[in-house]
Amino acid sequence: MTYEVTIEPTGDVIEVEEGQTILDAALRQGVWLPFACGHGTCATCKCQVVEGDVEIGNASPFALMDMEREEGKILACCAIPESDLVIEADIDVDPDFAGYPVQDYRATVREIRDLSPTIKGIVFDLDGEMAFQAGQYINLQLPGVEGSRAFSLANKPSDNTRMELHVRLVPGGAGTTYLHEQLNVGDTIDASGPYGQFFTRKSDTKDVIFIAGGSGLSSPQAMILEMIEEGDQRQIYLFQGARNVAELYNRELFEELASTHENFHYIPALNAPEPGDDWQGFTGFVHDAANSYFDGRFDGHKAYLCGPPPMIDAAITTLMQGRLFERDIHMERFYTAADGGEESTRSALFKRI
Amino acid sequence: MNKNKVTTMAAKKLSLKEKYSLLTRDLDWEFSYQDRKDAFPMEEFEGIKITDWSKWEDPFRLTMDAYWKYQAEKEKKLYAILDAFAQNNGHLNVSDPRYVNAIKLFLTGISPQEYQAHQGFAHIGRQYGGVGARIACQMQSIDELRHVQTQVHAMSQFNKYFDGFQSWSNMQDRVWYLSVPTSFFHDARSAGPFEFLVAIGFSFEYVLTNLLFVPFMSGAAYNGDMATVTFGFSAQSDEARHMTLGLEVIKFLLEQHEDNVPIVQKWIDKWFWRGTRLLTLVGMMMDYMLPNKVMSWKEAWEVYFEEAGGALFKDLARYGITMPKYAALVEKEKEHISHQAWWTFYTHGHATGFHTWIPTDEELDWLSEKYPETFDKYYRPRWEMAKKLEAEGKRFYTKALPQLCTTCQIPMLFTEMDDPTQIAYRDTVYNGDRYHFCSDGCKDIFHDEPEKYVQSWLPVHQILQGNCGGPGVEQVLSDYYHFNVGADNMDMKGSPDEKRWKQWKGVA
Ligand SMILES: Cc1cc2nc3c(=O)[nH]c(=O)nc-3n(C[C@H](O)[C@H](O)[C@H](O)COP(=O)(O)OP(=O)(O)OC[C@H]3O[C@@H](n4cnc5c(N)ncnc54)[C@H](O)[C@@H]3O)c2cc1C
Ligand code: FES
Ligand SMILES: [Fe+2]
Ligand SMILES: [Fe+2]
Ligand SMILES: [Zn+2]
Repeated sequence: MTYEVTIEPTGDVIEVEEGQTILDAALRQGVWLPFACGHGTCATCKCQVVEGDVEIGNASPFALMDMEREEGKILACCAIPESDLVIEADIDVDPDFAGYPVQDYRATVREIRDLSPTIKGIVFDLDGEMAFQAGQYINLQLPGVEGSRAFSLANKPSDNTRMELHVRLVPGGAGTTYLHEQLNVGDTIDASGPYGQFFTRKSDTKDVIFIAGGSGLSSPQAMILEMIEEGDQRQIYLFQGARNVAELYNRELFEELASTHENFHYIPALNAPEPGDDWQGFTGFVHDAANSYFDGRFDGHKAYLCGPPPMIDAAITTLMQGRLFERDIHMERFYTAADGGEESTRSALFKRI
Repeated sequence: MNKNKVTTMAAKKLSLKEKYSLLTRDLDWEFSYQDRKDAFPMEEFEGIKITDWSKWEDPFRLTMDAYWKYQAEKEKKLYAILDAFAQNNGHLNVSDPRYVNAIKLFLTGISPQEYQAHQGFAHIGRQYGGVGARIACQMQSIDELRHVQTQVHAMSQFNKYFDGFQSWSNMQDRVWYLSVPTSFFHDARSAGPFEFLVAIGFSFEYVLTNLLFVPFMSGAAYNGDMATVTFGFSAQSDEARHMTLGLEVIKFLLEQHEDNVPIVQKWIDKWFWRGTRLLTLVGMMMDYMLPNKVMSWKEAWEVYFEEAGGALFKDLARYGITMPKYAALVEKEKEHISHQAWWTFYTHGHATGFHTWIPTDEELDWLSEKYPETFDKYYRPRWEMAKKLEAEGKRFYTKALPQLCTTCQIPMLFTEMDDPTQIAYRDTVYNGDRYHFCSDGCKDIFHDEPEKYVQSWLPVHQILQGNCGGPGVEQVLSDYYHFNVGADNMDMKGSPDEKRWKQWKGVA
């Protein structure tokens, strides 16, 4: 039995297992909540229950006082849901977060294209308009697949009746195998969205660095297409990482954009080019490409990272060593069930990293 | 499932963040005719570069009205429990009278440092150009004052029934082993405002605090001391703010300027080392002074530093911060220091303000089990010898005054870690005088600021120079330390504490 806990004011939704604490579930699912001691004595993780039933757990009477218990306050590090919940946490809503409502859609496959040997581009028509921010993702309910699967939207928000996804085949993965092998043009799928805190910070004025790995080009593509459409004058750098030339998809699209827009710069990086690739560009990991391009200094930029967790991790280290910090680094980690959440103890130093 | 819910925020009431910024930033003002540098004269001399105070992220957002409301509620609850403890003769519920010596050590060793923390935060709460940091420090200053008060009140019940509690405020400045925590805080308080915050807020409260509070509070719970458990929880509930302040200052300094990185690293190295030296007293308390044991010092170190601290330093590595300089050495020391310390107190038990004793046979077995690598080999034989001597009526005390480390002020009791039979000595000559140290860590710290540490008030030197009364140790203990000699000190066996306990419990 799992319960669904909605965390306001961001609207993030997490699944909490029977007997699991809200904090544990949130951190494992990449949703940050304030915490420090992790065992009910310091009150850093105090939240307000808006709806639903919770077992308060082992909260110290000084960290959660009687009057607060009566007001429906809980400590997320000890509280265990007993129904679906809505809670309000002391977290900031990003001023650029539009908070578009999550809605259910019927999505009909319009086109399926091989982008690379492992990645398919799938375009759907929606049964209604979807308001979303470039960078956000949707959840798909796939026939015969338990639970939902997350994919980032690769189309720009002005194409609001369509949905373009870049789906990498995960070996042994139920959902991506279905999408790659069984899905046909004309099929209909249930989708819900938009979700997520990964979106363009439009109020920010700094130049922008995108670092994308594999199918993690999806969100950056939507974000860049929108910025260009809106005539954004900032310098925009896209670092795209792939194994080899065959995996480096949508290359023509970005080369074309780079040649027609002076402020857009496209830097692909291959970490294992094939002999026949005749590769003239950067060879190595995508974060190293960024490092060498910027000579190890990133301050004064805004960075968006998207793709597999190890790539994001390496990119964060590179950026921070180049003096760009958490407030200017935004990321979407493409977790799969194989990543299984971090088992190790987590420090409270970073919120999102 | 409620996926169609609109998740935008309802009509604006002030968010906590906005309220807090009204309390802090908007309390500040532009200086029109004064130079800010004159207003905050301590902000630069440590070499720290602050380029933009607006990047300070208020680590907690508690408005003053909410602060008073919460604290008042905590006090109400705490004092209700303390009253009940007194009325029900709670002191009779402790596991064993030996336990009370652990809290004598707490009251004389730790509580006065809460007061120094109060003073330190009050001082630095005036020194930062950023108003968010100033307010956070002021609140912590008031918290720390509350901590010392509640601790003194909680332990006043024990003072009515046991020896050794009566002159804690006098003792803290004078007694040889209490100068260890006292000088630790003096060192921090006489540093600049940023070093103080890295020392106390980060290195101590964030990195090491669990190693202090969890053992004492769980120790109290395991040994039937509800008074200590309660003030512990009450203090811990303020600790969130202290810990997040410690974390914020580290992030802030590291992000403000790259030149801050090596300075912060040096402070982390220093205060981690000083902190672990100080925690020797806690390790000894856990392994020897608690009749009902919680966990061994070694286990506590593994859980609270190696695991939790490991995760922290992994994250800090992204800023270019590395593990504290002597962390690898401390990993070896966890096998030894508690044994070496309690042996020193046992053999100087005539000069301690609490009782000492030989572990029971059961306790010796527990230590053997918890320290399979070291206890039987190096430490158990000493206790077997002490047992034999005691049985022959020859409980012995070392009459010589110990030599103290100039930096941490702990007697030279630690050994080389690669040879636990060899006491570690380091020394150096500065301006013609020789200074002694317990370790490379303490020597490094001295070398970095010799002019500071040559001024150390070392209790044994002071006794020898005749500054603490005398002529004999006996008079120092009674007239200068205000011990009740013969009651507060010496072995637990045969002490007035033990006699009274037996009377209360009706055992012969
Ligand atoms: C916010 C977000 C956005 C994303 N956007 C995209 C995108 O745009 N494009 C894209 O390609 N991907 C994206 N992903 C990743 C994508 O969601 C996953 O690849 C997908 O969910 C995998 O589903 P699956 O059913 O194929 O695999 P699953 O069946 O879920 O299995 C995944 C892997 O885990 C293994 N596995 C399954 N169960 C377990 C278990 N219990 N323990 C250990 N291993 C297990 C499987 O063998 C397989 O290797 C995104 C992920 C997130 C979180
Ligand atoms: S009470 Fe400390 S993190 Fe929950
Ligand atoms: Fe305190
Ligand atoms: Fe504190
Ligand atoms: Zn020393």
